Amino acid sequence: MQQVTLAESEEKLQRYPKELNEALREAWSAVSGTLSDEEMAAWVGWGVAIAQQAGRSWEAAREYFRASPAAVQALPFVHLKQWGYWGNALAEESPAASSAYFRASPRIVGTLKPWDVPEWAQIGRRLYGRGRRSGVLTTRYFEVSGDLLSVLSFSELQNLVGMMEAIAERSVDEAASFLSLSSEVLPTLREDTRSCLSLISSLLGREWQQATGCLQVVGEALARVERVERSRYLSLVGRVAENGGVNVPAFLRDSSAALGQLEGYIHVHVLNMADSLSRVDHAVVLDYLKGVPQVMRRVSINQLETWYETGVAILKENPEGGAAYFKGESSRSEEVLEKLSTGVELGRVKEVMRLYCRALSALDVEIAAHQAEEAQGKGWVALEKMMAEGATVYLPPVAERFGNKDENFDWYKVVATHQVAHLEFQSFDFSFDRQATQFSDMRSRLLPVPSEDDGEAELVDGRAVGLADIQRFFGLFVDGNLARDIFTAVEDCRLDYRVKVEYPGIRQAYAGVQHLALAERPRLEELPAREAMVELLIRFSLQQGRELMVPERYAGSARALWDIVRPLSSPHALVEDSAEATIRIYQIISQVPNEEVPDEEWQQGDFPDEQTPWESMSDEEWEQLLRELMEAQQQSGEGEEQPYESPPQVDYRGEFKPELMQVISMLRESQRERGAKGETISKGEMERLLAEANQPVTNNQGVDPQRRGMFVTDLVKEVGSRGTPQGAIQQTTMAYDPSYDEEEQGGPLEIKEPASFLYDEWDYRMSDYRSRWCLLREKDMSEGDSTYFTATLDGYAALASQIRRQFELMLPQGLQKVKRQQDGDELELDAVIEAMVDKRSGTSPSEKVYVRRNKVQRDVAVVFLMDMSASTAEAIDESRRLADEWDAPDDPLEYMFWLRSRRGEGVRRSYKRIVDLEKESLVLLIHALETIGDTYGIYGFSGYGRENVDFFVIKDVQEALSDRVKRRIDKVSPLQATRMGPAIRHAVTKLDQLEARTKFLILISDGRPQDRGYSREGVEKEYAIHDTRVALLETRRRGITPFCLTVDKEGHDYLRSMCQDMGYEVLADIHSLPRRLPALYRSLTV
Amino acid sequence: MAETDTYTSYRTEEYVVKEEPFYLPVGDEVELFEVAYSQQMPVLLKGPTGTGKTRFVEYMSYRLGRPITKVTRSRRDGGQSKGSSVPLMTIACHEDLTASDLVGRYLLEGDETRWMDGPLARAVKVGAICYLDEVVEARKDTTVLIHPLTDHRRLLPIDKRGEIIEAHAGFLMVLSYNPGYQSALKDLKHSTRQRFMAMEFNAPPPELEAQIIEHESGASASVSLALAKLGEKVRNLKDHGLQEGVGTRLLIYAGKLINNGIAPRRACQVAVTWALTDDQQVQRSIDEVINSIFE
Ligand SMILES: Nc1ncnc2c1ncn2[C@@H]1O[C@H](COP(=O)(O)OP(=O)(O)OP(=O)(O)O)[C@@H](O)[C@H]1O
Ligand SMILES: [Mg+2]
Repeated sequence: MQQVTLAESEEKLQRYPKELNEALREAWSAVSGTLSDEEMAAWVGWGVAIAQQAGRSWEAAREYFRASPAAVQALPFVHLKQWGYWGNALAEESPAASSAYFRASPRIVGTLKPWDVPEWAQIGRRLYGRGRRSGVLTTRYFEVSGDLLSVLSFSELQNLVGMMEAIAERSVDEAASFLSLSSEVLPTLREDTRSCLSLISSLLGREWQQATGCLQVVGEALARVERVERSRYLSLVGRVAENGGVNVPAFLRDSSAALGQLEGYIHVHVLNMADSLSRVDHAVVLDYLKGVPQVMRRVSINQLETWYETGVAILKENPEGGAAYFKGESSRSEEVLEKLSTGVELGRVKEVMRLYCRALSALDVEIAAHQAEEAQGKGWVALEKMMAEGATVYLPPVAERFGNKDENFDWYKVVATHQVAHLEFQSFDFSFDRQATQFSDMRSRLLPVPSEDDGEAELVDGRAVGLADIQRFFGLFVDGNLARDIFTAVEDCRLDYRVKVEYPGIRQAYAGVQHLALAERPRLEELPAREAMVELLIRFSLQQGRELMVPERYAGSARALWDIVRPLSSPHALVEDSAEATIRIYQIISQVPNEEVPDEEWQQGDFPDEQTPWESMSDEEWEQLLRELMEAQQQSGEGEEQPYESPPQVDYRGEFKPELMQVISMLRESQRERGAKGETISKGEMERLLAEANQPVTNNQGVDPQRRGMFVTDLVKEVGSRGTPQGAIQQTTMAYDPSYDEEEQGGPLEIKEPASFLYDEWDYRMSDYRSRWCLLREKDMSEGDSTYFTATLDGYAALASQIRRQFELMLPQGLQKVKRQQDGDELELDAVIEAMVDKRSGTSPSEKVYVRRNKVQRDVAVVFLMDMSASTAEAIDESRRLADEWDAPDDPLEYMFWLRSRRGEGVRRSYKRIVDLEKESLVLLIHALETIGDTYGIYGFSGYGRENVDFFVIKDVQEALSDRVKRRIDKVSPLQATRMGPAIRHAVTKLDQLEARTKFLILISDGRPQDRGYSREGVEKEYAIHDTRVALLETRRRGITPFCLTVDKEGHDYLRSMCQDMGYEVLADIHSLPRRLPALYRSLTV
Repeated sequence: MAETDTYTSYRTEEYVVKEEPFYLPVGDEVELFEVAYSQQMPVLLKGPTGTGKTRFVEYMSYRLGRPITKVTRSRRDGGQSKGSSVPLMTIACHEDLTASDLVGRYLLEGDETRWMDGPLARAVKVGAICYLDEVVEARKDTTVLIHPLTDHRRLLPIDKRGEIIEAHAGFLMVLSYNPGYQSALKDLKHSTRQRFMAMEFNAPPPELEAQIIEHESGASASVSLALAKLGEKVRNLKDHGLQEGVGTRLLIYAGKLINNGIAPRRACQVAVTWALTDDQQVQRSIDEVINSIFE
């Protein structure tokens, strides 16, 4: 063969764009050294041939040349020839594919064995043969080959292409995106690539559509799985998928998300179980995996295994039960967990703790879970959250420090007991006037003599507001923060001692918790001197009296502190003793500079348990002691003085804010007084008081003003509207609202429509009725769906039948013996004897000597009056998700209706509201009432303002239970406000129409009465309560027994004054309403 | 008095309390009652169960210088009517108690009939304190008797004999009544209530209650104090899961159990927790209070 020159070659390619020749030139110089002349000729020839194939095949030729240097390098000539050949063949079909082929080549020839290169090319060619749109596939194939071959062997690539071809059978587009995805994803999977491929190949038989989906999520999914477990995880997925019917991408996503929540080292165990589970029943594997994080929050890994095995055992017996078990839906699973777990969840013991705190303190104490972040700022007893008369005790959501349940529970108990001890032992009742029992009175002598212009009371907003005693007390100190820290430590000393004396039963647990707390205290030697002294006090309060490090120089002072603190460990010590101790300790500690103490100056100090009892020192002795201490301290002091920092809180004790508490109770007091006069506290005033009370916070930490603003508003709410539900009309402000008078100045109203009624209303300020003051409109409740009724009964099937049975028992078996009748089935022995006796003794005997078995007629009529105010829309916490189970009717037809009606409602509610429980209770009650035949009516009420009281008829007293009634119940829903008076009065007129011997009016509400001009702060709240009370009294006067049932926790507060000697009940737990209402009815009427 | 092997039975008229009943005054109730008695003012004792109402009346009857007789209602009682003075009649009311059970009835004796006074009639005649325990339980027709006796008339009509008895100067009617009942059908009528001076009995303060427990149960002072403390705490749960707080009587039971070797926690559980409620949550809370107070 003859030699070709570059020029000749260029000549041949002259008619193509310049680029081609440029590419040729560049390649020429690169390859000419390697190829022989002959080979050069062949090489150029192929290029020319390619260029000549078709319109744009010159581009392929250009790529050919560009790829050539690498190809020539890597391939022996035989293979180079084939390489060129296949390129040419491709160009014949598709120049674009050919271009892609050559473009990919440089990387490929470096990776594949030379003899595989033609094979690789051929695959592309084969793909092209697939017909329409196959060019895309071919091109894509070449494009991604480089990336893929970096992680796959050639045969694996062939495999992958095989999969892709399988997909392409159904959809070329799908196949193309599968390829691209593969190249993106597979390289990131590294060692798991193969497992992933085998997972995908296992899918291809049936579930080919899922292949791409899998690829999309697999990378992300694997990232969440512990590295070494990834491939077995994939094979687990594969095994589960094998059975078909599994949404594999979703499986990957969900199961890995679950694993991601677990510590990596646990994965192996979890997957082991999953593996064996997949052999029992592959369908539950996902539920199992999804459930594990939840379970692991409560139990250890070993216990997880027990839980798992129990589940498997159930699964083998009863597949459905097992499935429910792993879904976490079966109570069995719950039981097992409960038994296994050592932690105690607050939710489970909350009610017990609440009652426990209530028992100890006689106050309504709310138990709330504190969130970690919140705890920082607030402490656990967020006393600013004072409720009506109680406090909130914050406890962590789980107690799990100890290895068993009892100890964890005890820990809760200790925390709660300590916090409640503040209330029980009157930490907040500090008074300047009360004598301390262990110390002489120093504080009142320190009090500055009040001068004319600096009286105790300040004028704010034109009225005098005194300072709380405790504020005056802290006012005695230059360094208020130091004094507060001392006071806190010292008061804790007193309380902890007191608790241990009063409650010997938890002494041990208490000591345990104190011990734990000690372990978390900062090391004394690391603190500057003054802080160390304060810390020392805290150690004392935690019962540490030994092995305490004390700076040599201050040993005497430390000893004095110990002597001062000890008398507080007396059952008679009062908060005033803590105050006196604080003064003395302050006098010592404030003289201690807050300087670093060199290491060698620390010495270990032991403070003996047995001590000479504290003798009340005379002032002279005390001063003498102080002087001595000062002298001892004088010796040196070259360390650098540091700013004083308060010690970290003792974790079980929470934050202690005596000033705030006193201010709040003062506010409440003055609120009560002013409320009677119709005045309220202004926000400005409140803010000022708080600023003072809350000084440590506002001074030191630069609380951001916004937060503070919020806090003030919260407080306004707490003090002002204790427990007022957030009704539609509650835009209440503390400020006196002048518009109120105008609004209420209107005169009597008139009836303009039918079915309207006018009622008087009681104004306690006038001690008289305002006549024709309220306009009430009676309306039929609109109708919803009667399936609500049946569905509710279904949902409560067990309870419903239980209640019904109990009601049936109220009927004495249908027949009752009635003694002393004129005639009857039997003679009554006692009566006959009596008659005989009478006859003998000459008196005329009674003829009533028979016993008759009578059908007993209960003669009871009752009206239920339901509060439909907006506040009943409040969600109740629905921790156990029973809702959806019972909500949906079983009957398919009913289900359709139900579904439709739900959709009609727009948003599907997944939570329950107060009103829902009210309704459910009514349904149960109706169901039971029907068995005993009492006459009953059900009405709802709501409204807005005195001219708009709506009275909804759900079931009129005269009406029989019909489908219409059932449909109306469905529609009961929260509306507006609660003006109880007129509704009660109207209900009374309903009962008046009836002849029954015994009549009841049962009012079911969720809060105090409130409405526009009926319930606002101060005077109106009183107004509403008075009017409601009077309405209830009217009821009773008419021979009807009223009874108020409320689900408002603060109900005691106003019901006590509203109902006084009439019946009422506050439900502690709203969930108990469906059970309680029928029970109550029974006990009222038996 | 007739002794048998197994029990001691007394004829109604013969039973006399020889010793002063232990009663620890909590407030001015003794003084009030004395005045009421001297002024012939009927007394209503209100208060939850086990707060010492019955004990108080026993004590007062002793204190007022009178022996005591207990009457359990027994219809065909063969006792004689004449002669004996019966200064305190305690009548436990129940729903079958009729007017003639109170007033009296004719009895057959061979072919003869003989009238026998009921406890009320006897009390009226001899001038006794007539104590109707749990009066709301009695049948409504008994109020017909109560009314004329408890206003200025102080008369007991005996229809069957066509008689009216004027009450002896020493006669006093005392009712007890536990307002804790929720049944509206069992409320006292106002016309009845307003014939009585009312005294409220509530749980005594812990120190006093501890003394009572100590005296009645024989438990040690510290145990008694702890029990009184328990009582105080449990009463805080009234209306919060408990319908009724714990009465002194139950605390005494607990004291007796402890005094006889039962572990304190267990004793309180059976005598207090379980006796008070069936609600598990509330039970658990009470148990926790017990566990805190007792080791
Ligand atoms: N003040 C007291 N002094 C002495 N003992 C008392 C006192 N209060 C209560 N007790 C004791 O409590 C027990 C119960 O008292 P009592 O039987 O008098 O109660 P009650 O009020 O009559 O109760 P109930 O309403 O159930 O009949 C008595 O046996 C007595 O031991
Ligand atoms: Mg009694």
